[in-house]
Amino acid sequence: MKRLLTGNEAIAEGVIESGVEVITGYPGTPSSEVILNLKSMQNKADFRPQHIEWSINEKVALEIAAGAAWAGKRALVTMKMSGLNVAADSLVSIAYSGCRGGLVIFVADDPGAHAGMAEQDSRHYARLMIIPMLDLASQQEGLDYMKLAFELSEKIGGPIFLRSTTDISHVASDVEIGNRLNLEKREIFLEKDITRYTKAASSWCIAQHKDAINRLKQALDYTDNYLSEHGIRVNEMSLDEKIKEGVIYSGAVEGNFKEAIKRYNLKLSWLKIGLIHPLPEERIKRFLEKVERVLILEELDPFIETEVRRIASQMNKSVDIWGKFNKDFLPWVGGYSFREIKKGLETFLGKVFESEQDSRIRLKAKEIEVKRTTSFCVGCPHRGAYFALNKAIKKLKYKKDEIIITGDIGCTILGMNKPFESCWTEIAMGASIGLAQGFKWAGIEKPVIATIGDSTFFHAGIPPLINAIYQKVPLTVIILDNGWTAMTGFEENPGTLAFDNKEDTKRVDIREICQGCGVEDLKVIDPYKPEEAINTIIKAIKYPGVSVVLSRQECALQAKRRKVNFAKYRVDIKKCTGCRVCLNSVGCPAMVFHPAEEKGRPYMEITMDCFGCGICKFDCPTGAIEEIKDGK
Amino acid sequence: MENNFYITGVGGQGVVRLGQILALYGLEKGKKVRFYKQVGMAQRGGPVHCEVRIGEVFGSRIPPLSADIVVVMELAEGLKALEFVKPGGMVILNRKKIYPLDLMAYPDQYPPEEEIIQLFKEVGAKIFWIEADRITQEINLPLAENIIILGVIANFLSLDKSILLNLLEKNVLGSFLTKNLEAFERGFQWAEEMK
Repeated sequence: MKRLLTGNEAIAEGVIESGVEVITGYPGTPSSEVILNLKSMQNKADFRPQHIEWSINEKVALEIAAGAAWAGKRALVTMKMSGLNVAADSLVSIAYSGCRGGLVIFVADDPGAHAGMAEQDSRHYARLMIIPMLDLASQQEGLDYMKLAFELSEKIGGPIFLRSTTDISHVASDVEIGNRLNLEKREIFLEKDITRYTKAASSWCIAQHKDAINRLKQALDYTDNYLSEHGIRVNEMSLDEKIKEGVIYSGAVEGNFKEAIKRYNLKLSWLKIGLIHPLPEERIKRFLEKVERVLILEELDPFIETEVRRIASQMNKSVDIWGKFNKDFLPWVGGYSFREIKKGLETFLGKVFESEQDSRIRLKAKEIEVKRTTSFCVGCPHRGAYFALNKAIKKLKYKKDEIIITGDIGCTILGMNKPFESCWTEIAMGASIGLAQGFKWAGIEKPVIATIGDSTFFHAGIPPLINAIYQKVPLTVIILDNGWTAMTGFEENPGTLAFDNKEDTKRVDIREICQGCGVEDLKVIDPYKPEEAINTIIKAIKYPGVSVVLSRQECALQAKRRKVNFAKYRVDIKKCTGCRVCLNSVGCPAMVFHPAEEKGRPYMEITMDCFGCGICKFDCPTGAIEEIKDGK
Repeated sequence: MENNFYITGVGGQGVVRLGQILALYGLEKGKKVRFYKQVGMAQRGGPVHCEVRIGEVFGSRIPPLSADIVVVMELAEGLKALEFVKPGGMVILNRKKIYPLDLMAYPDQYPPEEEIIQLFKEVGAKIFWIEADRITQEINLPLAENIIILGVIANFLSLDKSILLNLLEKNVLGSFLTKNLEAFERGFQWAEEMK
């Protein structure tokens, strides 16, 4: 049976078919939908895993999955590429120790940085950590390779990376559903073996290191000729003795490469690599023996190309290799669209397949296009928090451009956009609080303010806060607590008040965390009440030590789903002068401006989309914005 | 045979839903399908576009000059589709302008309609204008512009109507189904008159 599935949905299906029992992860685009889908299917469709959770961060998520796998279960952990940096510390050690039950680390990279983050190439981790890595070239492989990954992990006794990219994870295609495995019931135990599960002696560490290297070879032997359930070969070669030009590729470039072959009827030999660590060295040699020129297609770094050049240099034959090391040829950055692949092939083959559209049209379109910047959603509590913060800074007689405000990951960073333009920096989870301390030690005398969301604070914001308190760094931290990990798909976190599994979990209160960390100046504000919020922030900024302002109001979209209602607002057209002060100070998408028409005058309208946060009312110079009472 | 649909608009117009139904149609017909949707922070008012490819297709995105049908739900967003229009390809332009917040007070900064049309003419598009919101007002279902356009496409491409109606039943909220079916029919008729 075929279904229309995104890569992440296909991966989730592969997880179900593999009989995985423990599933953990931390949300991050483009990886989140794997667990989102598994959670939505939990206890339906005969899918009853032991446990699924959104963990506090990727490192903890990995450790939980590894523990489950060491005890004999099949376990999966998911994350985006940035999350792998967080998990990395534990992962190296786990990789050296290996595992008993299958352990798969799903990581999604984002060539093109669609979600806005460092465009890192996570394939390097496979080499660094001595972990075999499967790289997805299609949605079908998402399903098939997930199953293979568990099979392989248990075969070699070590963790496996399954890597995807945005173009696979977020695109849907027709995917053939497979058969569910009926795993035998396993005995759950942890073998007590300190030579394998601790690193306390150098001889054990070296032995573990050797084991990890040996597992790589086993992984290659197992997969090089592997044919998946739906007929996909992990490493596949198409050789024609008469053709002297070849292409080596891996990952998401497959679609556009095959598209170009079909569209321009190209005659090329090719080698597709699905297991990208360790590389199939003998197969690559066999391929290079048969061609005179070879083009290497891969997104981001020349990961495969470097190895192909090394392998070619050891052969008694010279092969002309084309790739990212050629000057002004294939880019090291961004995703490869059809245009890049076409241009690459045209240059490699020395002919133009198809002329392009007159570039004037693209330039003209670009010139007149409408920019639609992203702002906070209607009713977003962060709007009120940044509104109050900007007002507080102004009231303290500072200019906007002289107060450094560090931002953090998640919805809260939208405070950098219009109309607030508050945040100056965005580094990594929790980094707003660490970075802010650096500015103080560097000698910035004016106040420094860090803003951070609730999930980000739980994830990595607590250690830098403790550090600031211990080192007595004068600093204001504004925690924008909307109760959800909202940006990636409204996942729950330890601070979430209302979600389905609440009887199985215990809420952890950020206010108590701050108290426990030793924050002496701790205030809670309601971002929907600007007056009090402004005054509280002013006091916090003036406080000589670490002050924390906890801004609390639930994510409006989630509140709306739970049918939480606030009184809405409207504009009294008689009083409105059309000055647009409200629009310029809150930038709410529920507002529509009506320019002056003949005989009429301009006015603002608050549409039915209003959630009722009421911030817009605060700045109106004529008092034209009023609450709708009792529907009137 | 392949069909490439490029659909563009802003958040809230049902761009992705329209694409999803076309993609599922391809699946029902037993064809290969690729369905790309621009995801991210596309809340109400943010730019949204999706691409549906049905037939002997490999890449997830439509190559330049290859979209058989371009649907422009919001006029200025159509500019992003220009490079994908296949010469002679069909472009359905919905006469609708949605201003972003910072342009609301300056409607004259919105690209002039004539310039947009001129560009579509230059790329060799076969242009069809529709005022979908006029029809949605008539049937009193303001959010159904996408379904009206589905009806238009169904007629122009002679798609299997029963499959589409079935898909609508499965993918549209029960309480709005009857009106959506009406929207589909109105779009279908509109296309009939355009022929």
